[in-house]
Amino acid sequence: MRFCSRSAKTVFLLVLCFLLFLPSMNLSQTQERFPKPDFQSGYTRPDLLTPTPRSQLLEYLDVLVLLVALALATYFAHKLRSRRKLFVLMVFSLIYFGFFRKGCVCSIGAIQNVGYAIFNSGYAVPLTVIIFFILPLVFTLFFGRTFCAAVCPLGAVQDAVVLKPTKVPAWLAEVLGILPYIYLGLAVLFVATGAGFIICQYDPFIGFFRFGASFNMMIFGASILLLGTVVARPYCRFLCPYGVLLNWMSRLSRWHVKITPTECNKCRLCEESCPFGAIKTPNEPRYQGSKEKTVKSLAALLVMLPLFIGGGGWIVSRLDESLSRQHFTVSLAEQILLEERGESTVLTEETKAYRASGKPREELFQEAVSIQEKFRLGGWFLGGFIGLILGLKLLNLSVLRRQLEYDVDTGTCLSCGRCFAYCPFEHVRLGLITPEEAAAQGARDPEAREKNENENV
Amino acid sequence: MNKSSRILYNITKSAAVVAVVLAVILSILMIANYIQTKSVDPLNSKAIAQLLDQLQENPNDQALKEQIRALDLLARKAYFTHLWQLRTGGYLLFSFVLVFLIAFKYMSSFKSYLPDLNEAAPADVTWENKLLSRKYLIYGGLALFAIAFVLGVLSQSDINKIGRLGAAQLSAFPSVEELRENWPNFRGPEGIGIAYHAKAPTEWDGESGENIVWKTPIPQSGFNSPIIWEDKIFLSGADRRTQVVYCIEADSGKILWEHTLDDVPGSPAERPRTSEDTGFAAPTMATDGQRIYVVFATGDIGALDFEGKRIWAKNLGMPENHYGHSSSLITYRNMLLVQYDQNSGGHLLGLNARTGAILYDTPRDTDISWASPIVVNTGTRDEVILNSNPYVISYDPQTGRELWRVRCMLGEIAPSLAYTDGWVYAVNEYARLAAIDTNNPTEVAWEYIDDLSEVSSPVAAKGLLFMPSSYGTISCFDAKTGERLWLHEHEEGFYSSPILVGENVYLMDMDGLMLIFSAAREFELLKSNSLGERAMTIPAFKHGRIYIRGEKHLFCIGD
Repeated sequence: MRFCSRSAKTVFLLVLCFLLFLPSMNLSQTQERFPKPDFQSGYTRPDLLTPTPRSQLLEYLDVLVLLVALALATYFAHKLRSRRKLFVLMVFSLIYFGFFRKGCVCSIGAIQNVGYAIFNSGYAVPLTVIIFFILPLVFTLFFGRTFCAAVCPLGAVQDAVVLKPTKVPAWLAEVLGILPYIYLGLAVLFVATGAGFIICQYDPFIGFFRFGASFNMMIFGASILLLGTVVARPYCRFLCPYGVLLNWMSRLSRWHVKITPTECNKCRLCEESCPFGAIKTPNEPRYQGSKEKTVKSLAALLVMLPLFIGGGGWIVSRLDESLSRQHFTVSLAEQILLEERGESTVLTEETKAYRASGKPREELFQEAVSIQEKFRLGGWFLGGFIGLILGLKLLNLSVLRRQLEYDVDTGTCLSCGRCFAYCPFEHVRLGLITPEEAAAQGARDPEAREKNENENV
Repeated sequence: MNKSSRILYNITKSAAVVAVVLAVILSILMIANYIQTKSVDPLNSKAIAQLLDQLQENPNDQALKEQIRALDLLARKAYFTHLWQLRTGGYLLFSFVLVFLIAFKYMSSFKSYLPDLNEAAPADVTWENKLLSRKYLIYGGLALFAIAFVLGVLSQSDINKIGRLGAAQLSAFPSVEELRENWPNFRGPEGIGIAYHAKAPTEWDGESGENIVWKTPIPQSGFNSPIIWEDKIFLSGADRRTQVVYCIEADSGKILWEHTLDDVPGSPAERPRTSEDTGFAAPTMATDGQRIYVVFATGDIGALDFEGKRIWAKNLGMPENHYGHSSSLITYRNMLLVQYDQNSGGHLLGLNARTGAILYDTPRDTDISWASPIVVNTGTRDEVILNSNPYVISYDPQTGRELWRVRCMLGEIAPSLAYTDGWVYAVNEYARLAAIDTNNPTEVAWEYIDDLSEVSSPVAAKGLLFMPSSYGTISCFDAKTGERLWLHEHEEGFYSSPILVGENVYLMDMDGLMLIFSAAREFELLKSNSLGERAMTIPAFKHGRIYIRGEKHLFCIGD
């Protein structure tokens, strides 16, 4: 079954092709922070790879583009229910926020700016960054994750490479689903201690947006994209720290897209339509074993929840020395120590520069220790947070809620609109088939047939 | 699928296949290019590094400079060409991947992915899935925390331990007080010729043995002076073939051990030429209480522990020195400082005392010299100050960064500097005696041009400056005004340097006769005692005794 005409798709793909080539035409302007040195030899400096600060007006233009894109994504998903239009918008976002804006500013990275501002009173986070952080969350709170559907450039680049998506086993998805929480916690810990912005540092796609990154990061990014051909949007589902916040907001969303525009007749046509495994299938509250045993295990988990939190906190706080190595000061102090002990015979530029600064070593070591203490304290919070999430997930898995029809999982559904066209009632809405034909689709399902027959009786 | 669709499908399929094949080939080429780029990194070019080493030996070789520039330009061109290739390859790869994606997605539009509704609906396994997920989540969580726990246990950082120990233990270097309790380097603590907290005998006679506690022959000759740490005395000796360090028990004069510094990596096969009055072991050793450090005229430098075990040894490059290298070592915190002034240019080296690694190498635009560094606190900061031609230069001992310089010297510089109360005094024969206020180190505060020292270093304290000369004069100056207060003429010249001990100055002439006179504005000779052996070294003071190295023996003098 095909839901869009082939000629329209061809035109659309050509447009996509053209748009994707635009960034290679040097559309973006860069500026130098310092005057270029004058080389007598005729040597010309390579172009800058990192984005330069924008004028405030252009920053507000970015905000405006974000706002319009979110509004359009919501409109396309909720009102028009058009996957095709969402896809076009997604391509635009990939080009604008990805290739043109070189992946910066982005809502995912903005977590760190906001976090850093919270823990560091001396840092004034730009208003536009705050808006980039909050706006998608506000939209998600009302309309679900339309940001993920068509506005996030990281999601878009992964969506573009989905070729033959396979279903990730539920248990594996559940286990991997803990990773975004850890990543979010680590990102907050690192900004709170001043260790750096790891989300930006380890952004796997920034190298593609900027046509340049370290070899390791390019390999990492290429691996994620390669994996993304068979496991749809792996970064979004199993790493994205902003996805955690969006997930929470989306669960509370006032309005969320649904598979069917009217009602579900359990025809099963949409069953395999979601490459992200975000469709809940109908079930009965059927527990394995006695209900009493289930209640007992639930109670045990509730009692153990503080243990998860405390234990997690204690264990992760022990990682203070490992984690703090990410901080420049600690890493410098360790390197100096290695050099002094003769365990590192090659001096680094950093240690040479530190020695040239004339600062006493004692100061450096004591600063390093105070940073490690911050990591220890932060480790308690991070471990406690991971323990809490783990406990809550286990509690959630110990409860079976009754599901009467096919519906999206509001937390994980990315509102991409792939499932819309699989519903016969969507075709009725579009005037492609009659209600009777739609009912017939449902009649092919034995359960639905039985239900229809009962209703007819 | 109709015929035209089938043709279109096949064309798209071919395009996809071609694109993916090209993308794979290009990826392989780009990875190979990347590896090659790493190998031609101009900043780490071995060929250029070798040429730069050669240039250090011949800094005025214009042809060599041009060769380095040409090679450097070539390496950079190659590097940036590789970068351009990588970038262009990136654009091409992006294009191929894009073509493949469009083609594949277009092909996919011909296919249907709907489930087969004729099959019965699968059984409801929601609860089973939840149980399975819960099980693996428990396993996953436990594994995660277990890994975290193991990592936490394994990755114990010494930073934490050291940081908690506090600054004293962190530093692992002796305090100023500890240094002043001992005799750690040339001319005593700080290298300025002052014996702190010391009482010293005033009468002895080397020939009759009066007040000679012991006298130990030293097998290998050397013009270096003894250094002392607690109850151990260290000195070195060398000839053209061997380089030896001796450790002597202060109480008995017994040689506890000797260590031959041989098989030093980079040591020159051909020994340098030295003059008779310099020899191969002129530089005095140094110690920081952790290790002892020695350098010889060959440029071999090393560190030993107090049991004579070698910690590290290396060669600094054969000194280009027509008399022989004689500048003594001095330590600063965890560093060993070396004044390495050669015919080809000078260097101040800061070595990691623990490992010998060069922490900084500050080039000096000065002529060759034979003087030794002093390390003093000038009120607000520590400074290592070097005497050389034509500048007296002060450096930050931590970093090797130059702090100030004053042009005031001439000729071949052998005397080291004197220091007191923020003032530095430099002298050399045929140049001048120059006083520099370190609070205003822009010019010479005062100068004197008669009866100047050739080898002996002056000493300053109590507002006075004492300067001997190689032809037997001793001059005393007001340290602030430069007024000469008195002049004493002695029959023998001085190579050794005066040491202030309490209220007296000890100064030994070349015959080994020690003059003891008051450190006062008027000359008053208190005693003169003969060692019974020629001596040109600096006496060391500790334990209420004096340790003097003569031509053949090490003497311990005590009441």
